[in-house]
Amino acid sequence: MTVIARRLAGHLARGIVMILVVATISFFIVRNIPGDPVAARYQKLLEQGMSPEAAERATAVMYGFLPEGTLWQQYTDYMAGLFRFDLGVSVTHPGSPVTSVLGEAAKWTVLPVLAGTLLSFLVGVIMGVYAAIKRSGKLGDFLAISGSLLHGVPQYVLALLMGAIFTTLIPILPQGGTADILFEPGFNAGYIGSLIEHATLPVVTYALASYGGWILAMKSSVVTVLGDDFILAAELRGMRRSIIFRYVARNAILPLFTILALSLGLLFGGAIFIEKIFNYPGLGFLLIDSVVNRDYALMGGAFLLITAAIIVANILADLFYTVIDPRVRSGEEASA
Amino acid sequence: MKRLAAVVALLGLTAVTAACSGSGTPTNQSSSGGGGGGLFTTIDVNRPGIDASGPANPYNPKGNSFLGYNAMKLAWVKNHLTDPNQFYPGIAESWEIAPDNSAITIKLQPNNKWSDGKPVTAEDVRLSIGIAYTQGSTAFAITPGAAGAAADVEVVDDKTVKVTQDMTNPSSKFARGVLDTFVAPAHIWGSVLPADFWDKLKASRGEGADAEKAREEITALGEKIITFAPEKDVSAGPFILERVNPGEALLVKNKEFYNAANVAPDQVKFLNYTGNEQIWNYLISGKLDHAGFTAAPADVMNRIKQAPGTNIIKGFSPVAVGMAFNQTKKPYDNVHVRRGLAYLIDRAEVTKVASPEGGNAAVTTSGIHQKPAQEWLGAELNSLEPYNPDPAKAEEEFKQAGLQKKDGKWALADGSPWKVTMTAPSGFSDWISAQENIKGQLVEAGVDAEVVTVADYPLYLEEIAAGKYDVGFWLIALGPAPYDIYQRLYGASNGWTNVAGKIKHAEPGKSGNWMGGAEKVEVDGTEINPGELTGKLNSVSAEEAKPIMLQLAKAANQDLPVIQLWDYVNTQFTNTSRFTGFPEQESDLLRLPAGVWIQLGMVKKTP
Repeated sequence: MTVIARRLAGHLARGIVMILVVATISFFIVRNIPGDPVAARYQKLLEQGMSPEAAERATAVMYGFLPEGTLWQQYTDYMAGLFRFDLGVSVTHPGSPVTSVLGEAAKWTVLPVLAGTLLSFLVGVIMGVYAAIKRSGKLGDFLAISGSLLHGVPQYVLALLMGAIFTTLIPILPQGGTADILFEPGFNAGYIGSLIEHATLPVVTYALASYGGWILAMKSSVVTVLGDDFILAAELRGMRRSIIFRYVARNAILPLFTILALSLGLLFGGAIFIEKIFNYPGLGFLLIDSVVNRDYALMGGAFLLITAAIIVANILADLFYTVIDPRVRSGEEASA
Repeated sequence: MKRLAAVVALLGLTAVTAACSGSGTPTNQSSSGGGGGGLFTTIDVNRPGIDASGPANPYNPKGNSFLGYNAMKLAWVKNHLTDPNQFYPGIAESWEIAPDNSAITIKLQPNNKWSDGKPVTAEDVRLSIGIAYTQGSTAFAITPGAAGAAADVEVVDDKTVKVTQDMTNPSSKFARGVLDTFVAPAHIWGSVLPADFWDKLKASRGEGADAEKAREEITALGEKIITFAPEKDVSAGPFILERVNPGEALLVKNKEFYNAANVAPDQVKFLNYTGNEQIWNYLISGKLDHAGFTAAPADVMNRIKQAPGTNIIKGFSPVAVGMAFNQTKKPYDNVHVRRGLAYLIDRAEVTKVASPEGGNAAVTTSGIHQKPAQEWLGAELNSLEPYNPDPAKAEEEFKQAGLQKKDGKWALADGSPWKVTMTAPSGFSDWISAQENIKGQLVEAGVDAEVVTVADYPLYLEEIAAGKYDVGFWLIALGPAPYDIYQRLYGASNGWTNVAGKIKHAEPGKSGNWMGGAEKVEVDGTEINPGELTGKLNSVSAEEAKPIMLQLAKAANQDLPVIQLWDYVNTQFTNTSRFTGFPEQESDLLRLPAGVWIQLGMVKKTP
């Protein structure tokens, strides 16, 4: 068995145990949140002027989808279902399996968050290198300050600001949704253009919110590498600046790849506020909705998916590092 | 690094291009007969969140059947002040209600067809009634002894159905219960009910284990029905579902609809929302042609009014909000304390702050919304104590309750401090504003007060029912049916339950009795049981209801289980930039979806 295979097996075993532990903890936390979702829905409909009998009709059916039995029975059913990838049935989407509701929402989270993460990573890394190299100049100061500023602004503040500017003050972007329904879905310019148009605000906001972290991390990493002996040796040997720059970039980016892999773990749960503010129907949006409506099965499923993604991302980050950093690989082989 | 830079530049270019583009060709919006064509944009105010995977199923709360557009009922209930049995035509063209409410004979629209070209028949209605039995309907209830339940459904001919009421526990709302029924196509939905369904229904009306089993089987069918997903939408309404994504739904005109010639829009677009803020933004930007009632603060309302074409229609909304007391807790068990507080609170000021557009300050506490109160109580309404702000009277009441005033502050009878703790759910901005205003008024009058917010509405309802709060807000006066009006004050929350027409009362603090009022009270020298009187309202005629309503109004006014703060106003937002012909102010159409206005032929394209 190779070093990587051994590591993978160990990680997977630990990951499965962690997922089961998290599933158990989240099950009991979720089931112990107080509040009656059916009564709340009923009263809300009354407030909106619906007659009591119509409100009763509209909510009565929800009772059929609430979990039954003692808490322990519910738990054993839930865990047994987990091994069959059955997370139960949603109350707010009556009759729909939680897995399909999550699957439908997940695609609207993964694409924008992935695009936003990669965009911010690329821009942040490049700007981080410049900020480090030009750290004594005005450009370096400007880049570092912009990074600190954006890193310090909470995601939801940025989202509100972007929304106010581009949907109200200069209304050039849509206020929500995934695509204009008037366009026939498919591989056509109109529909794809509409998809991109609707994703622009969530993606750009996510990228801006993450950009600060990347630029600061990259700058710090580059500055550290610049002080390493091998850079001094390269300079003394008279190597060209472009080659030295490549040495610096390759070594400085290594820790950032780890952070990137971990960030990808947040693909499913990283944009809750952004989705809510931009009315973008992804997982974060679904999670808030499930909490408000006490949709236990959906809440549990969403938490589990987010947790599992983070655990998997951790495993991948670790393996990835083993692959890309020869020092780690050789160290392990030596100890093996 | 060059490659990285190129990728970033490409992504940036894509984003900018996308941001500036309105590329592609939308689906056809050509105009057609019936008032001009065009796209009608709206939201479903009763159902936040569009579920792209939801079926075109009117029984599914997340289904993509939109009431009045592609989901039809036999008839549409009018927003009448006092009569629950007033309707506009839907699938039914006309109806005849027996004078004693024992039966209703329904005539269907003669020329109505489903969108696949098949005629709408009495068999469709019969199947839909069968489905209604599985959904917890009022007229089609399987609970033994339920008030206003149907006894028989008879298909008279292809276009006529007769439904008779079980007169052992009749209800004046029977006709409403029948006509307020969804109609689904039997040729699509026929498979959802088993062949022996009607035999099962007959068995469920008996007693014993077999009847219980039949009832369980019928209830279980309800879950199957709401998950039923027709391959495509087949509608007898003015529109058919074309497609849906997580943010929007598109409906197109149904040319088979009986009144298609008078249906103006060619297309209807439903927009997704999850909170009021999104609806406000849509309204401010003038995107919506119609939105139902949405509470909005004054500054937001001003911005909405400034949007070109905005037209706000107001009318009767049979809901009021009351400041409710938990009478199991001291000093709220003392009526003089409740009266004293009523004299201290300036309801006009509270309403002005909390709900300037969506409410009118309650004239007094009668348990009835002000408008129908005049109809039900007549001149007697003026005899009720109005509880106008009067600090002197408040002081007198507090003294009668034995409260003590020390250094300008009121304390309990034993001298211990008294603080009025009001609770509201987080996010209910109007209720929180009202409680903050009341707090200010009370503190100024020497009554210590505080406002506590709890996480959300489900938690609030659970805790108020468990008797955890001293004072909270509670919706009352749900009209127009008299029973609905008073069951909020003298129903389960105050200890009375109505099972098969028999009224029972639970001890304060038990079985959901969190208000904890007395079982019997004296009104004009006569001892009454408010819960029993409320139960009677379920079956009596309007004329018979009036003296009972008066007794209950007097009981509520003298005992103040709640202080009625404001009566809600039904506020509808429309925009006349693209369409006109919306209902007038105070119209009895205001609680119906705009799809009903459209199908009745009222809405026309703006010239």
